[in-house]
Amino acid sequence: MQINRRAFLGLSIAAVAATAAAAGTYGGWTLMHSGAQPLLLSARNDSAGKHFAVGYRLDGSQVFATQVNERCHDVIGHPFLPMALFVGRRPSTQSYLIDTRDGRLLQTVHSPEQRHFYGHAVFHKDGEWLYATENDTSDPGRGVLGVYRLQGEQLQRVSELSTHGIGPHQLLWMPDGETLAVANGGIRTEADSRVEMNLNAMESSLVLLRRDGSLVSKEQLPERMNSVRHMAVANDGTLVTGQQYMGELSDAVPLLAIKRPDQPFQHFPVDDAQRQLMSQYTASVAIHSELRLLALTAPRGNRVFIWDLDSAALRLDAPLADCAGVGAVANGFVVSSGVGRCRLYDCRNPQISSTPLHLPAGLWDNHLRLV
Amino acid sequence: MIRSPLTLALLSLTLTACSPSDPQQQVSRALTDGVLLPIYSAWSEADRQLAASGQAFCAGQQNLAEARQAFASAQSAWAAVQPVAFGPLAEGNRAWQVQFWPDKKNLVARQVEALVNSKPELTPADLDKSSVVVQGLTAYEYLLFDPAIDLNVAEQKARYCPLIVAIGQHQQVLATDVQSQWQAKDGMAALLKDFPNARYAEAPEAVAELLRTQVSAIDGLKKKLGTPLGRQSKGQPQPYQAEAWRSNASLTNLAASLASAERIWLGAEQDGIQALLGSDHDALKQRINAAYSDTRQRLAAAQRPLGELLSDEVGRAEINALYDSLNVLHRLHESELAKTLGIQLGFNAHDGD
Repeated sequence: MQINRRAFLGLSIAAVAATAAAAGTYGGWTLMHSGAQPLLLSARNDSAGKHFAVGYRLDGSQVFATQVNERCHDVIGHPFLPMALFVGRRPSTQSYLIDTRDGRLLQTVHSPEQRHFYGHAVFHKDGEWLYATENDTSDPGRGVLGVYRLQGEQLQRVSELSTHGIGPHQLLWMPDGETLAVANGGIRTEADSRVEMNLNAMESSLVLLRRDGSLVSKEQLPERMNSVRHMAVANDGTLVTGQQYMGELSDAVPLLAIKRPDQPFQHFPVDDAQRQLMSQYTASVAIHSELRLLALTAPRGNRVFIWDLDSAALRLDAPLADCAGVGAVANGFVVSSGVGRCRLYDCRNPQISSTPLHLPAGLWDNHLRLV
Repeated sequence: MIRSPLTLALLSLTLTACSPSDPQQQVSRALTDGVLLPIYSAWSEADRQLAASGQAFCAGQQNLAEARQAFASAQSAWAAVQPVAFGPLAEGNRAWQVQFWPDKKNLVARQVEALVNSKPELTPADLDKSSVVVQGLTAYEYLLFDPAIDLNVAEQKARYCPLIVAIGQHQQVLATDVQSQWQAKDGMAALLKDFPNARYAEAPEAVAELLRTQVSAIDGLKKKLGTPLGRQSKGQPQPYQAEAWRSNASLTNLAASLASAERIWLGAEQDGIQALLGSDHDALKQRINAAYSDTRQRLAAAQRPLGELLSDEVGRAEINALYDSLNVLHRLHESELAKTLGIQLGFNAHDGD
């Protein structure tokens, strides 16, 4: 069925929203796409260092590769329209709204004066609003959420909220689709810079807030230099975060944390053998809600891990050079790499098997989305 | 659901596995047999001798000079392993167990003393449960070379010998274990020879890992000079931040690592990384050869240990020149060689996001 895009975009957003919400998008895998292969969206470079927003089918066929000015980080698909925002990597002031059918650049979204993107954003389930984590560079590190409204094919920034913390990074919806979870990394950086200013006074937190900006909860991990950066949310509301520890390489600090429904935010039990392999750095986390699995990439340790979300039993500890993005598909997880081939980890059997995918090798950025 | 198209794509990838004539596979195979396995064997043998030496010394059958010689060989063999330290050594905290460096806070001295105070009858099993700080060569070096310890005094020898013996054994077990993981039927060596396999989807991934580990070791050598030179501390020399400062072996270690890196480049029979450069890249090949030669000659010309060189102008100039030479070598690999070979060394690992 060929849908005329103009006509499609012209539909009332609210009318389509109900259908999309029913399909559910938690755990990164959505039943909307049964029958067709999901589209893998990611930021990628070419070997000359040019930046691209790309979309591929998992069989390796390219849907689009659109060159963009600046390197992007995460990608947020619209809940029901064929468009996605490729979010500028910190300290970029640009994000790119892309038509995911042909890669057409619909809009270069600019952050306002004294704000830059942190690489992450989310679309609200009704498709009309987008929230992006941003840095208030007039008070470096003060976390704000830029609130953008989608009108036609354009996002317009209409207001902003506080993230109730410093250096926010990833944000996601809780299953109600109305409560936002924000990882405040706790690190202050200035405009045009990636250099940490406050390693001796870091203040990282996991914040839950409502869409009006009011605070639901704010929790911290015990280690001051442990920066909460990435997260995944299961369809039952279990939330997992991946940390980067800014202290010494030899310090023994857990890098994975969990907040189960109605429970405090706390470390997820990881054995020393796996913790040590992470080299104090995690890149992406993903949850497979149906299989109840948790996947994590650790590109400094060149390691991919999968645990049982409920029992915390280790299911996979495998080498993959510069492993980057991870996302759930029906069978398990797809993992990309900055230097080698992407892999599919089939998790349906007790023994997880990996298969290289026929996608271009290397230069994939830290996040991927399957829509 | 993912159905047949993906399965088909995966099958076709499997079917296009490398033929034996694939140059990348040839290089990976040749380096595995001609360079990597011999380096791991030499290390394992040196640690076997270290363990034997520790026992002999403590039994009064070796003198301190002989014990120090066995340590020097083990330390040098370990330095030679570093440019090929991927796979089992990169896992299970093993590299830290072999060497604790950098040791900014002199944890080695503090933890060794705390351990021998708390466990006068220390056994190898006790050591296995202790911190990596006291399990490796850095602690062994402290025991044999630190000015505060005199092993010619019977009391001190009695105090430290259980630890000397335990570290020797720990190192021997560790090196033997790593070596057997390389040589096992489906071990690391096998994974570097036939593709695709559980670790590498294709030969270029293996070659990339070889080059990445080598280049990162060369970068590490810069750090080993840069740290004591004070390049990270406003130019104020920090001789006690040097690797192996107690045994005055900083530059000897550096030379051993450099020699391994050069063997990865050359190959045992001119079949290393350089074999991947076509004749149209002869100029680059020559520049890399010249850079190795320059660094090697500067190292050979250093007549004094690093600590001494850092103490005067002339010496510091010599070390700075050596650093610059390593820097040239590093950059040639990191940018020009990797780019020419189409190998991506890193992308996200240093991303910081």
